[in-house]
Amino acid sequence: MTATTLDPFTIEIIKDGLNVIGDEMFVSLQRTSKSPIIYEVLDYCCGITDEKGQLLAQGNGVAGFLGTLTFAVQSVLDKFGPENLKPGDIFITNDPYTGGGTHLSDVSLVMPIFYRDELVAFSANKAHWTEVGGKDPGSWTTDSTDVFQEGLQFPCVRLFSAGEPNEALFDVIGANVRTPDMSLGDAWAQVASCRLAGLRFQDLCDKHGLPAVKEAIDILLDYGEAMVRQELGKLPSGVYEADDWIDDDGITSEPHHCQVKVTVTADKFIADFTGSAPQTQGPINCTWTGLVSAVRLIFKALTDPHIPANEGTFRALEVICPPGTVLTAERPAPVSTYWETMIFAADLVWKALAPAVPDRLSAGHFLSVCGDVTFTIHPDTGKPAILVEPNAGGWGASIDQDGTSGLVCVGDGETYILPLEVTEAIYGIQVDRYEFNLAPGGEGKYQGGRGLVRDYRILSDQGGFITATFGRHKFHPWGVDGGRNGSMNAVQIRFADGREPVTVGKTARYPLKKGDVARLITGSGGGWGDPAARDKDAVRADLRAGLISAETARDVYGLTGEKA
Amino acid sequence: MKLATDIGGTFTDLVYLDETTGDYFLAKSLSTPPHFSRGIMDAIHKSDLDPGAVTGFVHGATVVINALTERKGARTALVTTEGCRDVLEIGRANRPDIYNMRFRKQPPFVPRELRFEIAERMNYKGEVVTELDMRTVDTVAKQIEAEACEAVAVCLLHSYANPDHELKVAARLRELLPNVLVTASSEITREWREYERTSTAALNAYVQPVAAAYLRQLATSLNEEGIEAPVDIMKSNGGTSSLDFVAEQPIHLVESGPVGGVIGAAALGKLIGEPNLITMDIGGTTAKCSLIENGDYKITTEYRIERDDRSAGYPIKAPVVDIVEIGAGGGSVAWIDVGGALKIGPRSAGASPGPASYGLGGTEPTVTDANLIAGRINPDYFLGGELKLDLAKARAAYQPIADALGVSIEETAIGVIRLANANMINALKLVSVRRGYDPREFALIAFGGGGSMHAVALASDLRVGKVIIPVAPGHFSAFGMMMSDAMQDYLLTALTSSVEESRGRVGTIFEDLESQAIDYFLAAGFDRGQIELIRSLDMRYNGQEHTVRVRVPDGELDFETLNDQFHAAHEKAYTFRLPSGVEIVNYHVSAVVPTTKPALAELPPGTGQPPLKSTRTVDFDTWGILESAVYERTDLFPGCIFHGPAIIEEAAASTVVPPGVRGTIDPIGNIVLTIGDEA
Repeated sequence: MTATTLDPFTIEIIKDGLNVIGDEMFVSLQRTSKSPIIYEVLDYCCGITDEKGQLLAQGNGVAGFLGTLTFAVQSVLDKFGPENLKPGDIFITNDPYTGGGTHLSDVSLVMPIFYRDELVAFSANKAHWTEVGGKDPGSWTTDSTDVFQEGLQFPCVRLFSAGEPNEALFDVIGANVRTPDMSLGDAWAQVASCRLAGLRFQDLCDKHGLPAVKEAIDILLDYGEAMVRQELGKLPSGVYEADDWIDDDGITSEPHHCQVKVTVTADKFIADFTGSAPQTQGPINCTWTGLVSAVRLIFKALTDPHIPANEGTFRALEVICPPGTVLTAERPAPVSTYWETMIFAADLVWKALAPAVPDRLSAGHFLSVCGDVTFTIHPDTGKPAILVEPNAGGWGASIDQDGTSGLVCVGDGETYILPLEVTEAIYGIQVDRYEFNLAPGGEGKYQGGRGLVRDYRILSDQGGFITATFGRHKFHPWGVDGGRNGSMNAVQIRFADGREPVTVGKTARYPLKKGDVARLITGSGGGWGDPAARDKDAVRADLRAGLISAETARDVYGLTGEKA
Repeated sequence: MKLATDIGGTFTDLVYLDETTGDYFLAKSLSTPPHFSRGIMDAIHKSDLDPGAVTGFVHGATVVINALTERKGARTALVTTEGCRDVLEIGRANRPDIYNMRFRKQPPFVPRELRFEIAERMNYKGEVVTELDMRTVDTVAKQIEAEACEAVAVCLLHSYANPDHELKVAARLRELLPNVLVTASSEITREWREYERTSTAALNAYVQPVAAAYLRQLATSLNEEGIEAPVDIMKSNGGTSSLDFVAEQPIHLVESGPVGGVIGAAALGKLIGEPNLITMDIGGTTAKCSLIENGDYKITTEYRIERDDRSAGYPIKAPVVDIVEIGAGGGSVAWIDVGGALKIGPRSAGASPGPASYGLGGTEPTVTDANLIAGRINPDYFLGGELKLDLAKARAAYQPIADALGVSIEETAIGVIRLANANMINALKLVSVRRGYDPREFALIAFGGGGSMHAVALASDLRVGKVIIPVAPGHFSAFGMMMSDAMQDYLLTALTSSVEESRGRVGTIFEDLESQAIDYFLAAGFDRGQIELIRSLDMRYNGQEHTVRVRVPDGELDFETLNDQFHAAHEKAYTFRLPSGVEIVNYHVSAVVPTTKPALAELPPGTGQPPLKSTRTVDFDTWGILESAVYERTDLFPGCIFHGPAIIEEAAASTVVPPGVRGTIDPIGNIVLTIGDEA
């Protein structure tokens, strides 16, 4: 890089300007989307890259999408070549196996940005469409066996050609999804967001000149790298390993073993998943993009969670995993609920590093998105009511603090759990309780945060059903340094007729009658350190708050001489 | 004579206005935490006014926000429906700091051992599912007494739909615990969402003992001074209420201080014919901005204290004037991060030790120091000369940063100003561009100690053509309070289809809310004829979550017109409309008793050129380093014309007028600057 000709303030202002573009794209998409999963759950991301596809800035609502846009842009460059891109082109892709795809529901748009006829950047976004067709309403399911059952595939093609919409493609989408208004509405919202970024980027060039912007971009990427290398240098060098089990694939009950070897040096961070289980028959498979995002997520947490992400911040990172594993599945493996395995991969790296980097990482958390689809007929309107939502659970303790109770999992982020009052009014069920799960688990010098219990009582004479995928139903959230493991996630069906309750982790369309209760249980996070070393005043406080029983205080924490 | 007082972290401002002549007077005294009413009395004494002549007293209090941020409220209990004990601690379970794997939720204001459940249940229609078991209330009362709580909040499920159980529980607790202050959530808001309503009730209870004591003390002190005028307290919604009302519901005071400036801007805009304004209030620690459209400021119902990009904050379901606040003020500290980049704030040197140039022991470089180095502040005329600024100390503070960046101190200073402006621009965009407004259709009104220094640079960047610096920009919040109306909000969540068949239900709900409003004002001594009632609805497309507020047209309700208004408002906010059904979520009645707005006295016009006070070299950033005219603000007169480069000095502010900007003074003394082609 040549010596800088810009003053440090202009550089800083252009850098900020680039980050603001990512944020502005994000807000624009939220404001114009017609789908609750976008404007409420924020299941999307937006960003800009340079002309080579290097990420410059990204706006996120959830943690799971970190760095996926780069791959989408590069797939456009690889397929078409930069010389064949025209102003006004917009490309669409959701291929899970190449080009930045994850599952078919996550659809990416990529737009080249030109300044005075020169290709200077790309804007891109990726959003979870409510519907992309496939065998089940809502497209994602727990029992598909190949990708063709999961919806419409967009193999990186032009949605717009030099500003002209590809009407044929719009018609094909409209005919193949169950909610064309929502899905096409989201496509248009994504288009608006990409175009806004194009305008803002051109504004930046108008104001500061293209050479200044290019120079600031180089500095931005180098700065990101430098910030991360500073932090990387503080991590203890070494080789760290972890392994764990995925519950099952939704088709058979067999667990799947995965492992990671992380090598940390002063200037490199290598995560090697070689040896992990082969891809599965059921739709839990994750592909390369998801795996890289998962590792980036923990890498970012490990270095500095507040440095704005760009390509430079990931230069020191390398991910290794042979193709064909459950983490790097190949066509046509089913990938519908890939997210559970993606965050599992993040958790593996986390587990390997937590003891060594306690100032950045806690013990294991409840891990699963704990997604449920609860269906009934609203007793007051007589209309179908479909509740689709994530659930919150307990986070792990750390070396110097208790874990937090009732938070969404690592794959989510600025995600809001529905209020009881809204749930009851809109979905016509009764929520009997929404409180901490006080089952044993996560005891330690520092205690893991509490999971939650949420009871859904069916009120409709016509009953209903529940579909759910609650991972970590068979294998516990992990404790550290003598801290006990956390408790597990589960869905428990409690019958009005007094039958013995049934407890499951994954279920598809479990029938519920009037008066039956689906109890959604999320686990507590793992503990940190020997419970016997817990501060006795803290034990007394937990006892007073009703968070632990007198027996636990005495038998686990060694509190003696107290009135129970 | 009407009096308004505004308490800041450093100063207590007082404005009083003679309604007969339109003349007004200003006074400032040091704030006296924690006994703020002493500062008010000091300011009253300073201003030498006749207590008997005071006909009105408006007060902006910081007691509530202070008690909350310093966690100095009461030991508070919470009573909830069985199964909901942990709702307050679970919150909405979001993780704003998304890559932080050690994220900690902010602890609840009521710990678990003080959260109690009682047996009862309503459904969303307000029908009883489980009868209220009063024995469980009596048991809980004993526990609250044993825990020595000073306040208790009651929030039961679906009390917005039917508050019967909640009010019975509150009444029983008041009877059994006469020394404990009891808040029922439905007394403050009838909006759904149990976490947000519980939080509102809990925070109200938490601050009530402190706030009530403060307000009583204030009333007593004023009485002792011989001021017998009714005391009105500035609320977050931009209106005032009686002291008695806010003593019961102090949570309405949470933004009592900052809203004054916005109200003042709206009122001033009406006086001078500027209905569309973007406001910018730059103080010592923060910059605050908001937007006024057609004379109306915006209200948010999504307010949270202590929310930022790393914390979820605590919701308060009370209407609050929509203000965006960022940590960039005069005292904000400049620093270099580990990657070698220059950053500003959010940490502030505050009033003590203050910026390095104050010479009060501060050594860190601040935005004020940068403005001093750039020649934009006269070191001998800061606070009218009360505080002499030390340029050498400012330069010394900036030396390390200049060295690290390899540029001169002067370049560093102007760079810091540029960066501070860039931060402020982002905040201004949040209230304008990001919400679908084009800044070019607005004028910028800037006040607070630092507003007038940064205003033109900000306006240029946003392509705003006109900048207004009001008279006494340092006292503008207090001025605004004097222009406020008595106002009460009544809100109710009741899902209703927006169709002709709902006419009866809509009418009944509005009439019920309005009768509550009328009862309040009649009890406060107003006449029915003085009360203006404004109906609005929060509406949405069937099945959506977010709503848009629509004002209900006067006269016979026409659902077609109402729905058309909703479609248009939705398109403005979210850029699209849907061909689907529309439903009402919240009913809102805003009841206003307008106060007589004093006409401000017009200044005598003058002729010729305003006298030059001096000249000095000022760094105007992109406009260059130039020899600049310096004017004393009190020398300027209506109708005079001046051009940049110029600096206008006054006791509590300094206005920067770059080249190409034309300035004048309007008939009531505001500085009006025109930028760009029209200049």
